[in-house]
Amino acid sequence: MDFEIINPATTLELLGTINELQSKHFRFGAGYSDLLMELKKKPEENLVVINLSQIKDTAFTGLTISPDHVRMGAMVTAHKIVMNEQLNKDYPVLHQAALTLASTQIRQVATVGGNLCTASPSGDIACALVALIAHCEIMDSTGKTKSIPITDFFLGPRKTVIKKNEFLNGVLVSANNKLSKNIYSAFLKIGTRRSMECSVVSLAYHIQTDDDGDIIHAGVAIGASAPTIRFAKDACDYLIGKRFDHIHQKEKEEFATKVLSYADPITDIRATAWYRKEVLYNLSKSIFE
Amino acid sequence: MKKEYKVIGKPIPKQDANIRVTGKAIYGHDILLPGMLYGAILRTEHPSAIIESIDVSEAIQLPGVHCVITADDVDVNNIGYKRDHPILKKGEANCTRDEIAAVAADTKEIAQQALRLIKVNYRIRKGVYDAFEALDESAPQINKFISGKFENKNIAEKFHYEHGNLEEEKKKSKHIVSRRFTLPRMTHACMATSNITASFNNIDKKLLLYSSTQVPFLYQRDMAHALKMNPSDIRVIQPVIGGGFGSKLDMHPFEPICALLSIKTGRPVQIIYSREEEFIASPIRQPMVIDLTAGVDKDGNFTFREINIIKDNGAYTSWGATTPFVIMQAFSSLYKVKACRFDAKAVYTNNIFAGSFRGYGNPQATFALERVIDLLAGELGMDKADIRLLNANEKGEVTGQGLHYDTCGHKECLETVIEHSGYRTRSLQNNDKRYKRGIGIASMLHVGGGAKIYRSDGCGTTLKIDPYGYCTIITGSNEIGQGSETVLAMMASEELGIELSKIKVINTDTDVKPWDVGVHASRTSFVAGNSLLGAIRILKEKLNKKAAEFLKTSHFDFDYSDNMIIPVNTKEGIALDKVVREMHFSAPNELAIASFFYEPSSKFQDKDFKGNVSGTYAFAAQAIEVEVDTYTGNVKVLDIYVAQDVGKVLNPLLLGGQIEGGILQGVGYALTEELLMKEGRILNPNFHNYKMLTASDIPDIHFYPVETLDKEGPYGAKGVGEAPLIPTAAAIANAICNALDLDVLDLPIIPEKILTALAEKKGTK
Repeated sequence: MDFEIINPATTLELLGTINELQSKHFRFGAGYSDLLMELKKKPEENLVVINLSQIKDTAFTGLTISPDHVRMGAMVTAHKIVMNEQLNKDYPVLHQAALTLASTQIRQVATVGGNLCTASPSGDIACALVALIAHCEIMDSTGKTKSIPITDFFLGPRKTVIKKNEFLNGVLVSANNKLSKNIYSAFLKIGTRRSMECSVVSLAYHIQTDDDGDIIHAGVAIGASAPTIRFAKDACDYLIGKRFDHIHQKEKEEFATKVLSYADPITDIRATAWYRKEVLYNLSKSIFE
Repeated sequence: MKKEYKVIGKPIPKQDANIRVTGKAIYGHDILLPGMLYGAILRTEHPSAIIESIDVSEAIQLPGVHCVITADDVDVNNIGYKRDHPILKKGEANCTRDEIAAVAADTKEIAQQALRLIKVNYRIRKGVYDAFEALDESAPQINKFISGKFENKNIAEKFHYEHGNLEEEKKKSKHIVSRRFTLPRMTHACMATSNITASFNNIDKKLLLYSSTQVPFLYQRDMAHALKMNPSDIRVIQPVIGGGFGSKLDMHPFEPICALLSIKTGRPVQIIYSREEEFIASPIRQPMVIDLTAGVDKDGNFTFREINIIKDNGAYTSWGATTPFVIMQAFSSLYKVKACRFDAKAVYTNNIFAGSFRGYGNPQATFALERVIDLLAGELGMDKADIRLLNANEKGEVTGQGLHYDTCGHKECLETVIEHSGYRTRSLQNNDKRYKRGIGIASMLHVGGGAKIYRSDGCGTTLKIDPYGYCTIITGSNEIGQGSETVLAMMASEELGIELSKIKVINTDTDVKPWDVGVHASRTSFVAGNSLLGAIRILKEKLNKKAAEFLKTSHFDFDYSDNMIIPVNTKEGIALDKVVREMHFSAPNELAIASFFYEPSSKFQDKDFKGNVSGTYAFAAQAIEVEVDTYTGNVKVLDIYVAQDVGKVLNPLLLGGQIEGGILQGVGYALTEELLMKEGRILNPNFHNYKMLTASDIPDIHFYPVETLDKEGPYGAKGVGEAPLIPTAAAIANAICNALDLDVLDLPIIPEKILTALAEKKGTK
């Protein structure tokens, strides 16, 4: 493992670095919990690593909660999410996803940006953010930003829409619906051990009901079940208007079937495609049990 | 009445705990000798191939490279239990670990770079990756170094044992159950990766090794044989060892390779495995297929057991091939059984080879046996606890194999876990649609006083007290994390009345310490403890004599307490250090030193594998409750109730550590751990996909020691190290079967296996 490393201290310096390196092969390093493993396994020739961990700009490192939304800079760590009580209250799915990520030690360094840009189909925080229909704030090397829905962010395993002259600056999550009375929200992670685990299947959901208990908002995402994390739109639409605590067996099954229609899992060392589908179906039903 | 002790039985922390947790401990990885080079090994790219040529010319020319060796450059003997294992491979590669060449260089990076410059031409051939296929007549001979004394060219070792009249007992059986069990490859995954530092002095031709072997004196002999040296010209020093669990019983090729690199360069050389190399090239628990048929009469008495085992030996033979010594003990002698016929074969394949692993075949045997006992109980309609209690071993029993149970806590262990787990009274509350609960029981028998498989199973001790009243124990036994240093110091403290801070244990240097066979078979506290107690007895006779002279008393019975020697039933004594000074410095000027060699009363087994092989035997039972998620197949182990016949608790803290650590290894064996292989290659050589459990997976462990006070053991103690993991997988499998009404035959019981079994039962898969 041999690479050159550049340490921009501000976003401005980062923009300059990206501009300078356009003709070179470079990678971003944030928490390094994935990158070092990857490079150890498969060293890359003539690599420059842009170290993001020295940048202090709050837009890049801070977590802010405003009436309309929550904004997380790309360098916000899993630990920071876990420790935030407001997030835990408003978005249990995000809190749980961050909490089940790897181990206490790794959560100190693993970042939201890293979890998204690695674009692993089994990314935990990423899966929760898809269920929350987050928006990704992408900045280009001229300093211009654009916001795209997270559902458009992933192109395939380890592939995102981010171009060579761009980077992920932060993520925005809309505030819960003002009419929402109850929130049913969780991250269901399936693996063989309770920590240091990579999801074999995951299901993230964030469902809001009004005063009558009717579902007014639903976000459901599946992880480790397809080339990318997927938002199960049909399954979400199916729930709108239904009473959360009155969903009967047949509806549960129909919902689970709709979730499953988004799955296109592979068979690998950790599980077969059959197992992943079976579990995903069962977990989908379990939301209402 | 139980004797009261001052130190023995007290929860005294491990004496080396502080240096370990503060990073002060010097592991093999920390050793840095002047002029030291770094060694690295090139392994084969293919598990089965003809090696047509090896070109090291470019590697040798790389600046910073001092030496590159292949089989052609060295004059050595084969290694391994059957001497069927070349240190460096020539002409062919037979498994994915095979060492083709080795390099010594100024830095680790240069050594790695040099490996990449070595060009090897392979002609790939079809390998044999299944032991049953290897037994087929048409299979090629995999290992060319064996004498071929067995009926099939790929049999490395075989065992046959029997007692009783099998055919007669079959006739008496009301029910007979047959099952085939398949056991996985499990790896030790020691926290410290394999390491060695070799320093050859080319002036006096002596070799110094810093090695983490568990068996320094056997290792010295094996190394000498490999390198064609005199054993005593090899000095083995053990740095702090970061995990053994049996993995360091065999000498592995990287160790003589490191010595050869040092011999060739005249410089110290160090080899340290990466974690991936550790997964690929360190030993494993033997994978095997066990066919077990067992019977029971109408009253629930066990009648017979018939066992056929095919073990995948891998390409070379290690101590792992001898695990049937222990496996047959479980089948012949755990619970009373009138007849037993046992056959086991270790078969060469192009897979990675096994080694020894805590339990030494016993977890495999116990899994099969305890599963079948549940099935027999089911056939009879008898309670699973009752059938075990009915057949449990007893004190005074001499088993069909000739094991003498002078003390035996088997029944008490079973009764204890049955009671504490609430097995008879609990309701499983299994009306939940998704989560199903079950409970399983299993027990075990293991050697508890060493195992006589060499000419000597003994241990020597030299004990001295210095003029300042400090005590030094020079023991043949060594510390691999099991806590022997602490327990030996406690024994000396108890007997000599010297506080622990004044007791030193010297146990790391073959040039200094007396003979011991090594750390295995749960023997250290028992054998080294008895050896130490023998030395203490002799030394006390000398001290007593001097104390009596000094105190002008005819008394020869003394208490040793608070650094004083006090005649029994008096108050006035003399300081221990003063007595020692008197011994040393006044005529007839004698040292306060004593030596003792303890050899257990156990016997070598005869050619039919019969005989009392251990000084004593340990028993244990576990009752385990699980909750299975039928939506995902995940098993949550809720509570583990453990009762173990430990003879006598020497130190409850250390004992608890052995119990918890062993159990967690057992839970991993049951549920998650397996080195997955395809065509001879390991698919998961990393912690990411080799699912070793972590602290967050530890269930509630309820431990009840059973004290049977064995007259052979130090203070009545028996060996405890291996036992805790042996019945765990069996009890968990029984609990899962109880929860879901399944017939589990394979380990590990991963979630997908459970969901598949449930779907097959429902007919949906």
